[in-house]
Amino acid sequence: MESMQRWSEAHKQEALLPEPAPAIEIRSVCKAFGSFLALDRLSLMVKQGEIFGLLGPNGSGKTTTIHLLSGLSKPTSGTVNVLGFDIRCQGRHIRRLLGTVPQETALYEELSAWTNLAFHADLFGIARREKKQRIEEMLELVQLTERRHSRVKTFSGGMKRRLALARALLHNPDLLYLDEPTLGVDVQSRRALWDHIRLLRDQGKTILLTTNYLEEAEALCDRLAIMDHGTVLTIDTPARLRQRYGGKIIELECEQPLVALADLQALPGVVSVEQTQTHLTIVTNGAENLVPPILNLVVREGEIRQLKLVEPSLDDVFLRLTGKQVRDEAVRRSA
Amino acid sequence: MMILHFFRVIWACLIKDLKSMLTERAFLFQCIILPINYNLLLILFALAGSNAPTAVVMGDTGPYAQQFYQALSSAHSFHLQQTTATEAASLLHAGEIVAVVTIPADFDTQVALDQPTSVGLKVNNLTTDLTDDVRRGVRLAVTSFAAQVFPDQVPIVAEEHDQHPMDIDYIPFLSIAALIIGVMVGGLLQAGTAAAREWEQHTIPELLLSPASHTAIALGKMLAAAIISLAASLFSLAFVTLVIGDWPSFWGEVIAFTILASCLFVAAGTLLGTMLRRRQTLTILVRGCSVPLFFLSGIFAPISFSTSGVQFLARLFPIHYLLVLEQHAFFGLSLNTLSVPENLLILVGFLALFLTLTVLAMRRNMMGFAH
Repeated sequence: MESMQRWSEAHKQEALLPEPAPAIEIRSVCKAFGSFLALDRLSLMVKQGEIFGLLGPNGSGKTTTIHLLSGLSKPTSGTVNVLGFDIRCQGRHIRRLLGTVPQETALYEELSAWTNLAFHADLFGIARREKKQRIEEMLELVQLTERRHSRVKTFSGGMKRRLALARALLHNPDLLYLDEPTLGVDVQSRRALWDHIRLLRDQGKTILLTTNYLEEAEALCDRLAIMDHGTVLTIDTPARLRQRYGGKIIELECEQPLVALADLQALPGVVSVEQTQTHLTIVTNGAENLVPPILNLVVREGEIRQLKLVEPSLDDVFLRLTGKQVRDEAVRRSA
Repeated sequence: MMILHFFRVIWACLIKDLKSMLTERAFLFQCIILPINYNLLLILFALAGSNAPTAVVMGDTGPYAQQFYQALSSAHSFHLQQTTATEAASLLHAGEIVAVVTIPADFDTQVALDQPTSVGLKVNNLTTDLTDDVRRGVRLAVTSFAAQVFPDQVPIVAEEHDQHPMDIDYIPFLSIAALIIGVMVGGLLQAGTAAAREWEQHTIPELLLSPASHTAIALGKMLAAAIISLAASLFSLAFVTLVIGDWPSFWGEVIAFTILASCLFVAAGTLLGTMLRRRQTLTILVRGCSVPLFFLSGIFAPISFSTSGVQFLARLFPIHYLLVLEQHAFFGLSLNTLSVPENLLILVGFLALFLTLTVLAMRRNMMGFAH
């Protein structure tokens, strides 16, 4: 806690200084596996103290990016700096400052929670006099103190995730990477984990997370990058992304199926039109004053029984940017 | 600080792996008991192939007939039992004996008269190995009987000069090989499993994403496996010395060579486990390769007695050199054309090679993990 306070004090002082160096800075990075280009001139910057989400379909390059950041892989070209260190030659320094919660949790299930944390403390060289206290603090933080001597294999999915989080925080990292942090976790545990993550951000940690739950990205992330085909398609706050890419959706329930679908589609600002019997879903680019011309066109063929204006979700933004085709990373890789 | 952290990581990996191993008690028990298992296997093998069960039908019970029976008994080829002709035929038919030797009723009379006589021999020539044993044994009995009864008529005698101060029995000789194969399989399985387990249980990121030295991680894991392997060796050593009765000529050598064997196979096991990443594949490979390697390394006789092709193959694997060194430590034997220091040097070379390859494999896998 003391080190946390020191960090917090230092952080306040830094606020008066010019913009701090980014936590992560990726510039024009390419990563090739044989003839397959996993990352294509990727550029990305994550500020210190923010929760940054990395979204993308399977095979979009998220995992490759994460492996680069943790020093498990080297870029074919371009530069990657993490907390001011170059990953090409300072991987060990980066790993010391990086806490990771991998998707599979990477816990030794046959060992107790305490032994897992003690082993981690030894690997990261936490001072012996601090070790016990840090472990106790982390177990307390994730509410696993009572189960500290239980074998991890007896834990639920949520408990394992919490323990993995405790382990990632044990060496007090400046940058925390969470890979699908709430995958397979029940709603209560998910909410508790979200609270933990927000608390960490408030304490000044930089958090990079990947998730397939867009609701989670929306709830947690200060900024998001949507990736596909090894490059970043867009970066912004969730709200601005919805505004920029989501447009507006108009749902109409008509008296009879619309014949003049092509005319509707041809209206400026209409992105797509889908008709299911008497139900029309019209996706627009969000341009103002699109409702009157749409209604004019539809009422020519009959009455409108119901009209609904829908705010786009992050899912809509994601699908719009990355397409609806189902991806299979393994298939793509082997191809 | 870096050096302190290096040793702390070794210690942490050692303790963690020992704790993990202790949770898999059945596997642990199997690895400890394995060398004794191999010993029992070889004893059974030696017992099964040593003496051919043979019935002797004593048509004559005179002194010459008795003397001939003693000659058969001293031929080291038969497990003899006296039966009637009918019983012998029945036993041979039932497959319970390999041969029937019939001493004719006029055996003593004919021998006393210095007249030719025939000893009947019925053989179940199912396998050449046993049939040849019986044929050689009967001829040896005839020759030694004649030399005893008519020393003037058998002028040729073998004048034996032993190279070694004592004869080494077959089972004690084989037991040394069983000790080595046990250390080999136990070491490979323990170390290989500990390495592969990290991949199978997806715990490898915990190691690879830490700032700890990969050499320290590898060393810690190897030490844990070496401790278990040495415990298994102790059991086996106790069995070989106390049960089989192989008392070492040089205790210091036995201890040093057993530790070396353990380290060597633990390093090789860690390498295999790191490369294969699957415990099942590792187990199949180790079990599949250990027996051919065992037979290739000169367990039944010095490898220099074999063909040049077999000798060449044997020298490609460390087990051959270990066998040579252990036989020297127990019996003072030299089973190949190299000196003890030369054999030792080759093994140290193998150890250095396995250690280097293990660290390289871990580094390569670290990159492979990201692919």
